[in-house]
Amino acid sequence: MAIGVFTRAFDNDWIGPGIVSLAAVVGISILQPSFLSPFNIFVLLSAISVNVVIALGQLVIIAIGQMNLALGAIGGLVAICFVGIIELYGVPPVPALLIGLAIGILTGMVSGYTIARTGITAFIITLAGLQIFKGINLGITEAQPFYAVPQSVKDFGNLSMIGPVPWLIVPMVLASVGMWYLLNHLRIGRYILAIGNNPHAAELSGINQRATTTWAHAISGLLAAVAGIMLVAKLQIGQPTIGDDWLISSFAAPVIGGAVLSGGHVSVAGTFFGVVIIAIITQALVLFNIDPYIVQVVLGGLILWAVGINRWRELRVARLQEQGR
Amino acid sequence: MNQTVANPSIAADAPQSPQGRASALTRLLLSNEFGLAVLLLLTFLIFANTLQGFSSTFSLFTIGRQIGINTMIGLAMMAVIVTGGLDLSVGAIGACTAMFFGYLAQALGLPLVFAIPLAIVFGAGLGFINGITVVKSGVHSFIITLASMSIFFGLMIFLTKAQSFNQLPAEVPSFGKWKIGGLVSPLLVISMLMCVVLSLFYRFTTLGRSMLAAGANPKAAELSGIRTGHVITACHVLTGGLAALAGLMLTARTGAAIPSMAGQLGQDWLLPAFLAPVLGGTLLAGGRVSVVGTFLGAAFVQTMTSGLLLMRIGEFWILACLGVMLLLAVLTDKARQSLLRSKGMV
Amino acid sequence: MSAALQVSHVSKSFPGVKALSDVSITFQAGSIHALLGENGAGKSTLIKIVTGIHLQDEGEVMMGGIPVRFANPRKAAAGGLGVVHQERNLVNRLPVGENIMLDRLGAHSLSPVDYRSVHKEAERWLKLLELDVDPRMQVSRLSVAQMQLVEIGKALSLQSRVLLLDEPTASLTPNETKVLFRILRKLRDDGVAIGFVSHKLEEVFEICDKVTVLRDGHNACDSIDLNKLNRADVVQMMIGRAERISKKDARPKRDVPPYIELKSYASADGHRDINLSVRPGEIVGLYGLVGAGRSELAKALLGLSPQTAGQVLVKGRPVAIHSVAEALHSHGMGYVSEDRKQEGLILLHSVLANSGITVWRKLATRLGFLRDATVADHVGPILRKLELKTPSLYQTIGNLSGGNQQKVSVAKWLAAGVKFLIIDEPSVGIDIKTKAYLHDLIHELANEGTAILLITSDMPEMVDVADRILVMDDYQIKGEVENDRNYERVSKQIMGFIHGREAA
Repeated sequence: MAIGVFTRAFDNDWIGPGIVSLAAVVGISILQPSFLSPFNIFVLLSAISVNVVIALGQLVIIAIGQMNLALGAIGGLVAICFVGIIELYGVPPVPALLIGLAIGILTGMVSGYTIARTGITAFIITLAGLQIFKGINLGITEAQPFYAVPQSVKDFGNLSMIGPVPWLIVPMVLASVGMWYLLNHLRIGRYILAIGNNPHAAELSGINQRATTTWAHAISGLLAAVAGIMLVAKLQIGQPTIGDDWLISSFAAPVIGGAVLSGGHVSVAGTFFGVVIIAIITQALVLFNIDPYIVQVVLGGLILWAVGINRWRELRVARLQEQGR
Repeated sequence: MNQTVANPSIAADAPQSPQGRASALTRLLLSNEFGLAVLLLLTFLIFANTLQGFSSTFSLFTIGRQIGINTMIGLAMMAVIVTGGLDLSVGAIGACTAMFFGYLAQALGLPLVFAIPLAIVFGAGLGFINGITVVKSGVHSFIITLASMSIFFGLMIFLTKAQSFNQLPAEVPSFGKWKIGGLVSPLLVISMLMCVVLSLFYRFTTLGRSMLAAGANPKAAELSGIRTGHVITACHVLTGGLAALAGLMLTARTGAAIPSMAGQLGQDWLLPAFLAPVLGGTLLAGGRVSVVGTFLGAAFVQTMTSGLLLMRIGEFWILACLGVMLLLAVLTDKARQSLLRSKGMV
Repeated sequence: MSAALQVSHVSKSFPGVKALSDVSITFQAGSIHALLGENGAGKSTLIKIVTGIHLQDEGEVMMGGIPVRFANPRKAAAGGLGVVHQERNLVNRLPVGENIMLDRLGAHSLSPVDYRSVHKEAERWLKLLELDVDPRMQVSRLSVAQMQLVEIGKALSLQSRVLLLDEPTASLTPNETKVLFRILRKLRDDGVAIGFVSHKLEEVFEICDKVTVLRDGHNACDSIDLNKLNRADVVQMMIGRAERISKKDARPKRDVPPYIELKSYASADGHRDINLSVRPGEIVGLYGLVGAGRSELAKALLGLSPQTAGQVLVKGRPVAIHSVAEALHSHGMGYVSEDRKQEGLILLHSVLANSGITVWRKLATRLGFLRDATVADHVGPILRKLELKTPSLYQTIGNLSGGNQQKVSVAKWLAAGVKFLIIDEPSVGIDIKTKAYLHDLIHELANEGTAILLITSDMPEMVDVADRILVMDDYQIKGEVENDRNYERVSKQIMGFIHGREAA
């Protein structure tokens, strides 16, 4: 019975990464007590907040069985547009924010619709999208940052709400709860998962694949936009390079969280812990004065490790079912 | 033929396919390579006649040199697209190889005759790691090479401390600047030779044919006695070797081995890597390549880029143009396919 | 009263083939109606026409007396015509309840899913089907039989008045079949019209009350009462004549040691205790129903699934085969796949590439170089001998007819000069002329000394071609039948083995 409970708990995607996160926190704070200093927690939470939103942007596309290479390019484009219209046209922050989010949704929708309409693989379409959005970004900025970030935005990205908890955590919580609700309780979310799992059966059941794909990419674009603006707030500057380094981590976190890359199965909580693990490791490398470049290697290793674990779990489930019959 | 609607097993039962009647000439005229060649020629002629300095010796030299490098990058990706897979780590492999070469030639002072082959073997070895992981794990090459691009690049930066090798033997930069007949870069010649070699390879060797077969239908190939696992690994090795060569060529052009020469994680190579083969008519689903098309694709992209630069369209906007070009390339290919199908000429 | 579903005088041609000609069938409410016919008789084409995948050339489909023409299976389902296919069409990772209600989860994209009512509604159908599973349970955790019932529930939940079941018992155990039948009877009593496609005549006689038999795209009978017929009548209608006089004479027995022999062979796929031998020049038939494990045995022998017990002897020597390449190059074994398009041929490539793929390695120089001309010289005579019709050797094979494609998938093994050839369902989707030709070819090959294992579920083909017939069921050999070309006796004995009793 106890084993049954244990294995069933193990089948939950987030338990494994959750335990690893906890163990990492405990282990590192024993070795390096400053790890749990309020300031460090604040820094850690800020980084986690942004990265969770980025990862969720990729998660929704993984759920439908595709990939979005343009995530970072959309985030970067929105970031510079947001600051750009404030600086150049004196738009107040809130309308600028809304325009930024609209750009994110729109670019996502264009990618999604193109994929759904033409049937060309998402890889190529979003690769083209990556190049186009990045090109527009650099064309507008000429690789120079926009500086006119309003004080309210800067505060949002750098002040704490209570104690060591940053304001940045608000969009992260909203996005996480929203994504969880969407995937588990909204028709669109169930359709996204159904298409990711078995497109043929979904089609036979009358699910509109074009609309659902377009929606999924629109949501992805929205989250990329949110993350881009969060980074503007955190960095206090409209950097054209925002988004350049999202690709690897946006895949790493969902995969660590147990997402099946062929689609149909993702975990929001698992992804959260995936981000936490990555953030803690990155922080630990800094704390222990290890060359930060090694982060890339660790990230790549984590992806391979997670892919291996997921594969093993899939085989195990298949075996259990085989025995059950 | 109504192959799309009807049960294909029966619909394909046409006693004589219409293609037999479509003349070879028609097929050539409708082929991707021909269209691309015409497009390339037109673009070139228009630019040469309207843009000041486009047809200057120096301009032609640099265009040719860049075509050489981009062709090699495109061929590297083409070699793995054959299997229906892809390799995100081509840029990382290129940069790692260049740095390894720099280490051999500058830090160890190894003669170039040893350093160059060793570097290429090194790149092929990185490709081998990709290939064996993809085959053994059964996971799609996208995620495997996403991870390996991060690992290769991260390790390289870690080991080199992000320092360039800029004291390479003098032959390296002078090779990059060499103008054969005052016009043609040897880098272009190398790539053209490689195109010839690869064309022959896919046509006249068992391994090349097996790669195409395993890419078009791995199950059928396996059941026909082809060791699909080995063949797919071999494709990744070939990709690694070609990416290595591209890295060395880029080193020759810049005259130094620079860690960031392919951008962050080598991502800057992704677009040229896919653009050239896709423009050239290589099937993303695998099983059909066009070596000549890849060359023409790279040439067209570079001609456009140089022309647009001369037209003073900011270099950043050109990035966006290249993205649009990739989009147009896949869309026209899609349209061409359905046109051919409607005429029964596929 | 008008029929629940009526097909009247429907004809359908595909390029080169008349798939259906003037076919009629009438499904009445409250009846279970068997649709029988051999492979290629037109059953699946008929189902595809009523569900809107194909459009008939002539004739009409009517539901409740009103002509209908559905745009796709989805529209057909909404119109009250549910089909449960042989392969499962469920979203495995979603729960049972949502699968049943998948198209009714909410009014628009952003509607929250009302799980209470989804589960309540799903439960209603599950209860009707006596399926004791929680609608919250993931489909992937169900057994195959349960999944099938869920699909039936899904079809019923759309208020289907007509339910077509394609080989519903193919992957069920006898017990599960019993449960399914009880439910089908209940549905029948509730007034559903049920169409039942099956190869298993016992089941048909057990549960159906009406029968329509198709043969070569024609009605062999149209919606007649089953209790007026006996087994022999039905078989006669399916194959065309009561006693079939084989066109081919029994071949002389050869007294040579077997080329390949299996002793108590077991595979990781689940084959147990297989004993089998094939001599040079002998044609051994391997008969069994869909899912009996025949193709799986062929693939396991070629090294695609590990051997777990017993022995494989080639020319008397024990061997271990780990890959098809090894089977081909070291032991002279070849396999003509039943699935020409997925496993047999590379449709994108030319005739030459497809027919030469097995000999590239042999024909290449030591460095691996190979010219088209070399390959063409080697395979050309074989293709000519097979009378392959193609504009050129460079023709893309996807453009050839099914019969010509099949010739190429045999030719590549002839080119390789294999000594042992496994031929799996050779006549699926090819015309009658080519079929006869292939049968002659198989005989000719055997006469030249090739050991042949013929897998087919086409009984007349089996009786026509094989020397002796092994019967496989549930991944085991159930018995052996000496083929004396007496169709009646041989087929009876084979079915006897499958149904677990000696035939009289």
